Amino acid sequence: MVAPDRPLIVDSINKRYGSGPYANRDVSFAAHPGEMLGILGPNGAGKTTLVRQITTELLPTSGSIHVFGVDVVSDPIGVKNMMGVVPQEAQLFELITVYETLRIFGKLRGLSSRDARRRAEELLTDLRLAEYRNVTNMRLSGGLKRRVMVGISMIANPGLIVLDEPTTGLDPQSRRDMWDVMRDYKDRGTTILMTTHYMEEAEALCDRVGIISQGSLLALDTVPNLRSARGFDFKITYAVDGLNGASETIFGTDDRELVDRVRQMGIRQYSVGRTTLEDVYLALTDGTGHNA
Amino acid sequence: MRSPPRTEEGPAVRLVTGPSKFLTDVASVFEIRFILLRRSWYWYLMGTLVFPIGMFYFASALAPDHPDAIRRAMIGTIVFGSTMLTTSMLGQSVIYDRFQGRLKLIITMPVSRFAYAAGILSVGAVLSGSAVGILLIVALIAGVDFTFTWSFLPIVVTVLLTMSGLTLLVVSYAPSPEVGGIMSNLLGVFMALVSPVYFPMEQAPALMRAFGWVSPLRYAADGMMKSLSGQPDVYFEVAILVVFSAVCLGAGLWKLRWQES
Repeated sequence: MVAPDRPLIVDSINKRYGSGPYANRDVSFAAHPGEMLGILGPNGAGKTTLVRQITTELLPTSGSIHVFGVDVVSDPIGVKNMMGVVPQEAQLFELITVYETLRIFGKLRGLSSRDARRRAEELLTDLRLAEYRNVTNMRLSGGLKRRVMVGISMIANPGLIVLDEPTTGLDPQSRRDMWDVMRDYKDRGTTILMTTHYMEEAEALCDRVGIISQGSLLALDTVPNLRSARGFDFKITYAVDGLNGASETIFGTDDRELVDRVRQMGIRQYSVGRTTLEDVYLALTDGTGHNA
Repeated sequence: MRSPPRTEEGPAVRLVTGPSKFLTDVASVFEIRFILLRRSWYWYLMGTLVFPIGMFYFASALAPDHPDAIRRAMIGTIVFGSTMLTTSMLGQSVIYDRFQGRLKLIITMPVSRFAYAAGILSVGAVLSGSAVGILLIVALIAGVDFTFTWSFLPIVVTVLLTMSGLTLLVVSYAPSPEVGGIMSNLLGVFMALVSPVYFPMEQAPALMRAFGWVSPLRYAADGMMKSLSGQPDVYFEVAILVVFSAVCLGAGLWKLRWQES
């Protein structure tokens, strides 16, 4: 029996379609209770494949995944009872109102009619959707539709919620609104696994970030630890060939040491700053999105 | 049944499980479909009734003074109309759920594919039942001589289940929603027009007769002919249709993908 108190344990997952390349190769990680775990990677890196295996939609070629101790392959319905999912490409039923959507999907999630009605009303308030209660889904903006999707995933208060690129295609304001919703649920103790290809999103929201490329998980840690592990706390950027020439960036653990190095090179114009997740990501993937 | 872990501040909720959950799922899928249908049911009915009723008057005109021939033409119309409605309604529902990403949303729920299929079939049954009722009323108005017996009902149920299974099977091969729509409509038209439903097997051309042996619609039409002629002994036809519906529904549900390997 795998630890029933652990929201998610992914153990040596491999996914291969026939004799083609691996979509996921030897991916292992675990999500801690109450954390927001981000999986970051470019398009085609294997994020959605990983999510689809966790959400029981796709069978792994080898390895195992457990959600609160339940195996996703042997008991997919049991897993779905404990997990809310916002799939990347799913769409709402367009001619149904927001309230009807939440209520009916509450029943599909396993709530009694009374609980489904109660939770639908609660979520309308929680997700700031009350004014759209009787509006059909087809009349909602992309951001509001995504919020309804999050509502569907949260309707039975699951311990784990999986969001596959929840903010892709949203305008900046809708994205920030979605962030607020996710932070709110994390604060209530929900474990959240999200995939994204937005560096700043992962950095702003996630307790830990995993970087995936070509199906492999290259690193998984807090953003400060990811920086430190590569000696990447600070960066200094300077012009190599005058103001119009190319620039170069060097990384280090001490900003003063970096400044000294550059000044010793006779350079007087430079900028120093903390490294971002994007810097770590580009270093890990050799600046190409592929494994370094 | 393991109870799902809860968030710290989430209100307590108890999940429905077992047979109750299955019935709730069927009812919920039905409700979703019914809400969608509420806005456009008349188009489904009109689209399904206009052509078969035209065919009824056309077939009746060929044998105006022969009650059996007219009764058979009416039965052909019922089989054609209900078949068309089942294949087009069910086909479009499944195809658009699949290609527009709505099925993906349902698959993330703890819902079995059997419950999903049963929910959609229930809506199809309501629509098809309405179509059959309307066609019987049209037959009364048109002065067709028939005697309704209850043996008519198991024939309608089993033939609709058979066509539902065939539709699920056929549309699972659809490469796009447009082609899927054509495939489901073709299935209904082909099965109804190539099978001897508007006239008995003995009067059918050789090719149609050969197809009639393996067509569920021919057995449905034969059974309906008996039951609406006041003969309730339709056991043979119902038995054949039960086998057809078990095989076709089994194949259709098998192809309804809930998990990829």
